[in-house]
Amino acid sequence: MIPFYVLAVLLIASAVFTVTQKSPVYSVVGLLANFLVLAALYFTLNAEFLGIIQIVVYSGAILMLFVFVIALLSSGIGPFAEGPNRMPRVAIPAIVTTAIAFGFLAFGISHVPLGVPVPHATTIGPVGNANVFGSVGDFGVALFTVQLLPFEVTAFILMVAVIGVVLLAGDAAPQRTHGSHPKSRLKSADREPIVKAGR
Amino acid sequence: MNALLLACWLLPLAGAIVIWAFGPQLRRGAGPLGSAVVFASLACAGSLFSQASNETGVGETLVTWIPGYTFGLRLDALSLLWTLIITGVGGLIHVYSIGYMWSDRAFARFFAYLNFFVFSMLTLVLSDNVVGLLVGWGLVGLASYFLIGFWFYKPTAVAAARKAFVINVVGDIGIMFAIFALFASTGSIAYADIFAKAGTLPVGVLIAVCLGLFVGAAAKSAQVPLHTWLPDAMEGPTPVSALIHAATMVTAGVYLIARFAPLYNLSPTAQSIVAIVGGITMLTGAVLGIAQWDIKRILAYSTMSQIGYMIMGVGVGAYQAGVLHFFTHAFFKAQLFLGAGIIIHALNDEQDVRKMGGLYRRMPFAFWAMLLGTLAIIGFPFFSGSYSKDAVIYGTLERGHGILYVAGILTAGITAFYMFRMIFVVFFGPERDDVPDVALAIPEAAHVAHAEDHDAAHAPEWLMRLPVAILMVPTVAAGWLSIGGNTSPWYRYFGTLFGTSENVNAPPLPIPELASQFIVYAVVTVGVVIAYLRYGTPAALRGSVERLRAEALAMPVALERAFWFDDAIAFAIVRPAQALGAFIGRVLDPHVIDAAVRDIAWLAGALGLVARALQNGLVRTYAFTIAIGAACFIAYFAFVGIAGR
Amino acid sequence: MSVELTNYVTLSAVMFFIGVAGVIVRRNPLIVLMAIELMFNAANLALVAFSRAWVNNAGHIFVFLVVTVAAAEAAIGLAIVVAVFRRAKNVDLDEVAGMHG
Repeated sequence: MIPFYVLAVLLIASAVFTVTQKSPVYSVVGLLANFLVLAALYFTLNAEFLGIIQIVVYSGAILMLFVFVIALLSSGIGPFAEGPNRMPRVAIPAIVTTAIAFGFLAFGISHVPLGVPVPHATTIGPVGNANVFGSVGDFGVALFTVQLLPFEVTAFILMVAVIGVVLLAGDAAPQRTHGSHPKSRLKSADREPIVKAGR
Repeated sequence: MNALLLACWLLPLAGAIVIWAFGPQLRRGAGPLGSAVVFASLACAGSLFSQASNETGVGETLVTWIPGYTFGLRLDALSLLWTLIITGVGGLIHVYSIGYMWSDRAFARFFAYLNFFVFSMLTLVLSDNVVGLLVGWGLVGLASYFLIGFWFYKPTAVAAARKAFVINVVGDIGIMFAIFALFASTGSIAYADIFAKAGTLPVGVLIAVCLGLFVGAAAKSAQVPLHTWLPDAMEGPTPVSALIHAATMVTAGVYLIARFAPLYNLSPTAQSIVAIVGGITMLTGAVLGIAQWDIKRILAYSTMSQIGYMIMGVGVGAYQAGVLHFFTHAFFKAQLFLGAGIIIHALNDEQDVRKMGGLYRRMPFAFWAMLLGTLAIIGFPFFSGSYSKDAVIYGTLERGHGILYVAGILTAGITAFYMFRMIFVVFFGPERDDVPDVALAIPEAAHVAHAEDHDAAHAPEWLMRLPVAILMVPTVAAGWLSIGGNTSPWYRYFGTLFGTSENVNAPPLPIPELASQFIVYAVVTVGVVIAYLRYGTPAALRGSVERLRAEALAMPVALERAFWFDDAIAFAIVRPAQALGAFIGRVLDPHVIDAAVRDIAWLAGALGLVARALQNGLVRTYAFTIAIGAACFIAYFAFVGIAGR
Repeated sequence: MSVELTNYVTLSAVMFFIGVAGVIVRRNPLIVLMAIELMFNAANLALVAFSRAWVNNAGHIFVFLVVTVAAAEAAIGLAIVVAVFRRAKNVDLDEVAGMHG
């Protein structure tokens, strides 16, 4: 019980820290803390495999991606340039809206019978046993038998994402490629003076 | 055998398409080509004569429309007669047109239209069902429209073409409703099925169908009060007047009623209406023929009058007589029109008889042609017209229509008068083409420049004379087929095609047929004599300029305005329609319909402006909008979802 | 007072709305992406809590799926950021408003 509230406070604090930082690098640090606290919460909920995944995939892979992108965009042109804020007064309405929405949700939660006690990890059984809920063995058996289709779908999603990323970021600077399509380049070069002459 | 029938029907269409498509390449070749296909069609029809003139005729199914409903052709005695006239007289008029239209710029277009007309007319008469009939009916109207408006740079010609088309559409609608009623009550569109079930039709339906068909016949055949387009249709080239507005198309109404004889026979009421309208038309046309100065309008009113005879004949049930009058009329009226065309052509498109005069010396051939045609039309003994006209007139008496009988005789006398008036004025007396218009009381507007498109070239004269010369033979002799009454070749040719009319109440005839003929001859002679005394005596001929001027100035208004038919139609239909159009155009359209469209467009624009403000391109706005939407969903489920449990 | 499912779900909701507010308010696309990750994880927390409460590992499988989707989303989102940055030379969401009406 005590661990839950400690973790909850840490979780909310790190989340608020994440979205309030001016520099994205600080946000990444806050997010890292958030993910680690979440992993700890998973462990208390008998989801040991997911806890590991949370640390490895989120903290290890996705956050590293963020860091790399920050490093990439910051190089050469200094700190992130921000233009004028075109929605300067959105903060208060946004927070009010989210607060109201949270209020509705809380109202809803309080009116459904969710008062199920959630016991701690130790009350189920020895960790690591294939027959024990939440263990790696238990998870793996489910993933490769009953839930095989979602597993394959995840593979497909990842493949699509890889292709999309390559397409989006891979060759996005045509002005620096030379000689790939000379004819089309010639045409566009011919076209431009006409447009300018028309002005 | 069916190949011949198909060829007979489709050759003119092929000719029309070829001439239309290759007109510039064909040049003058369009005329011989157009004539050749019509004569080929005539040959096909002629070779089918013996097969077609038997009881059932020759038939062929072309298309199965819906299973059980087929379109086909049928060549029986009646349609064979029409086919022969259309292609025979039509072919001669094609040849004549080569000469008449020689110097016209649109030479090929003219022949394409003529061939198209022949095809349309063949569609009308060869169809074995009412729908095909209506298609042909509409197509001949279209061809007539094209040809009346052939000189489309003349505003009067365009107006005349439009008028003819519109009035004919009135008739088309009548036929259409008759077809609807027939289909609804017999379940078929084929003549054979309809006539087989004719006896089972209720009387009301029968009368409605007969009158609906007669509306079509009246519009196409220029019966009162739908006749006003025919005199105006003389704006077309003269060969067109001869072929379409005298010999063939305008007699389609006669064909229609003769074709539906099995229905009319069952409905004496409808028969009487048809006969009475025919009689009124006959008399009206003849009276108006007296008052005309345009040679083609004289012939147009005489056409109207003669078609009145035919309609009266088939209306009383004397089908053989009415159709015989169509047969002879086709020849002598074509003859008259073609003769008039020779005169008009020689006088550089002068059509006013007051400007003619003394043409006997200049154009003896035209004189003899016109004289023969005139003798035929007035029913001079032994000329073709006398046989057919006497048969119609006596037919009315045989079937108990005494008033129509008297009207028929009277009309014969009037016909003799105005036709000989034309002969005397045109061919005798001094030549008046140098007399100024004012001296003859000719209004200035009467002259319209016709000769714009003419160049100096002239066709060989025989091209126009040969068809007229050929037509002289049937003009004189066509009536001889009916010598011998009910045993004549003419009556045997039709056999029992028309059935018998129930209207024969066989009263004791007051006078025998021979005596009736002599009465007609006497009245005709009186008409000729009056015409002679008024226009033909040496004294009258010497003072013809003053006489004609005086007559033109003293013309009764009723005759000048053609009994106010056009004015009545304008008052009763055209002006209300124009007023309605003006109301719709000035009030309804701009202030209701357009306004609604404008307001809807404005509303769309206004909504667009509102919606555009939301689409500001800022991702955060979209996110906010989604958040608000999500909040609404949460609210819904938090309250409604839980409350519903 | 024991820890109940209600507590977990409420915690999840709080975290989720922090993410929502971040998405709306922040102009830096990187931080917006991180806020979206927060929302994913809030959902994951609720799933895991339900899964534990009813001892059913279907929720775990779903979390696995969500993690995959989140990874793909982050990768594509960052690729878009890079591509936009190459074109516009800045990373301000308010400057990328080319789709306005």
